[in-house]
Amino acid sequence: MKQWTLPILLTIEMIVLVPYSGVRFESPSIFLTDFGFYLSDLCATAAPLLILSFGMTLVLMTAGIDLSIGSMVALIACILSLFDPGLSFWMLGIPCGFLLAIGLGWFNGWLIAGLDIPPIIATLGTLFFYRGLCEVVIGGRENISPAPVWLGDVYGSVPLAMTLTGLGGWYFYQSRWRREIQMLGGNRIAARYAGIPVQRRIYETYLLMGILALVAALCASARDGSVKASWQTGLELQVIVAVILGGTPVHGGSGTIRGSLIGVFIISVLELGLMGLGKSELKPLLLGFLLVTGVALNTHFQFSGSEGATHKE
Amino acid sequence: MNETNPSIPDTIWQHWNRRLSPLLRQRMTLLFIGNLILVGFIFYHTQQHEKASFLDELSRFSANVAPVTLAAIGLTGIIYAGSIDISVGSIIVVAGTVLGIFYEYQASALVCFAACFITAWSLSVLNGYLIRLLRLPAIIITLGGLAFYRGLALFLAQLSLQPFSGQISIQQEIYHTPGKQYASLILITVTITVILWEIFGKTPRYWLAFGCSENACRLRGVSTGVTQLSTFFVGGLFLGLASLVEITNRMTIEPARMLTGFELDVIGAVVLGGTNIFGGEGSFVGTILGSFFLYWSGQAIFYLGISEYWRTAIQGAIILAVIGFDCIIHKKQKQLDELR
Repeated sequence: MKQWTLPILLTIEMIVLVPYSGVRFESPSIFLTDFGFYLSDLCATAAPLLILSFGMTLVLMTAGIDLSIGSMVALIACILSLFDPGLSFWMLGIPCGFLLAIGLGWFNGWLIAGLDIPPIIATLGTLFFYRGLCEVVIGGRENISPAPVWLGDVYGSVPLAMTLTGLGGWYFYQSRWRREIQMLGGNRIAARYAGIPVQRRIYETYLLMGILALVAALCASARDGSVKASWQTGLELQVIVAVILGGTPVHGGSGTIRGSLIGVFIISVLELGLMGLGKSELKPLLLGFLLVTGVALNTHFQFSGSEGATHKE
Repeated sequence: MNETNPSIPDTIWQHWNRRLSPLLRQRMTLLFIGNLILVGFIFYHTQQHEKASFLDELSRFSANVAPVTLAAIGLTGIIYAGSIDISVGSIIVVAGTVLGIFYEYQASALVCFAACFITAWSLSVLNGYLIRLLRLPAIIITLGGLAFYRGLALFLAQLSLQPFSGQISIQQEIYHTPGKQYASLILITVTITVILWEIFGKTPRYWLAFGCSENACRLRGVSTGVTQLSTFFVGGLFLGLASLVEITNRMTIEPARMLTGFELDVIGAVVLGGTNIFGGEGSFVGTILGSFFLYWSGQAIFYLGISEYWRTAIQGAIILAVIGFDCIIHKKQKQLDELR
């Protein structure tokens, strides 16, 4: 398949689902107004996913996977919700959240690189472990998020997500680091013999995932306004499906951040469409189906045309 | 003359011993001792508290431990052959929802039980078939299944029951028979059958051989497709029983919320029992001891007076520690395999 397959799929999906998402076609002006609102809603919904999908693309490129990001985002947001809004949030909350994010990412990296646990098992374990910690932190309560509202709307989260993935993607495309993690994902033994510090690179990738989880937690909690222990359950699957649909193979070695970006929008359009239809319960069903279909297409037909090259944002 | 005319207990013991590596024997001994210590600890605490009774604790044991144990036995066979199924929790949710739907349509108890069992079994076989058909990593297929089956359960409930309030309540006593009355019997029967099967059966050895080397099995003339599919076929039977015991022990079925984290308990029990997560080595008896250990450690946390909120985190940490320990033990072997 060619590189334009994904944008065409996204366009078809939008044509089918936009009428159900509150966009009216009565006149051009009404359509443009509604579509503007729809796009801003879509971008704000997609922003946290976009931030996480950047990290997940790198993780999948190392032939790893991180199932714990939903719990990680929830745990960081739960800890941040213990701080008061305003100065104490910025002076104390953010540094604490940053340290926690690094700690959580490092712990995942230690389990995978240090103890050599298969990434999917290790992060399945931390998925429940971190979720258990969420319950420990806030119990059955629902706390108000101290993150400023502007961080969650289209003027805050979208520029933040675009800057992070744009600048990050540009740096990543040019860096030696990208080639090294691609190589260790493609062939770990060859990478070790080539003198690449395999363990350190894996640690770095999961650490980065932790830091991105902090940014995503800020955006998503500011958008939702409150957090509880079961917040953002199932987020990991959305991100993984987006990245896989974007053409990053699960066996590592290649991947495209541009593909992941389109994958995120495919998922977000689907989410808004299902919400408009009042069929949100179909989301896990479709995500599971898309995951298996995406991996099968990637494996057997080189769906997105990612021939081992990583494209910049 | 012992060698020419071995007595029957010796033969059974030798049969079994031949199958187990020293590391596995050591793990099983440790688990056995661990279980004894935990039971002793709980016995001591129940004697200290006036309201607690050790007999009550034992009477609850079978019904609570049977679902994880049965599902873990099924998963052990699947892991023997180098696959994995992380959608077991979601499959049980679908099976439970099907049982609930049949109940709401006033089907007889036997029909409900059969529907529950067949649903779980057929979804497990479907997983195995998809893994063979699509030639994709088992973990990815079943990760998709984890979400898909839970969504399917919700979809089925909303399609068949209108209005659907999010839960199906089962009040009649007869629909709780397998979980509340026969859990001990099912558990004991399955345990004895599985132990005998492990000692004398050929199929588990084929699965272990398949887990060690698929190529070697193919060269030996073993049908790899049938072998891999048979793990899911047999695993599905155990999962069907697990679904039956788990669902009929509940008063309400909540497709969206119930059994989250069940798969980690099951994987934890298997790995704790000494089965290598990469396949090719393991024991059903170890799995049974592992699931008992997990249950008793959960109860010990309760008797220590630790808050309910800490439970998930502590049990998650215990399972992670065990899996980590297992991976450290196998790390050197894995690196040597990589270099071959």
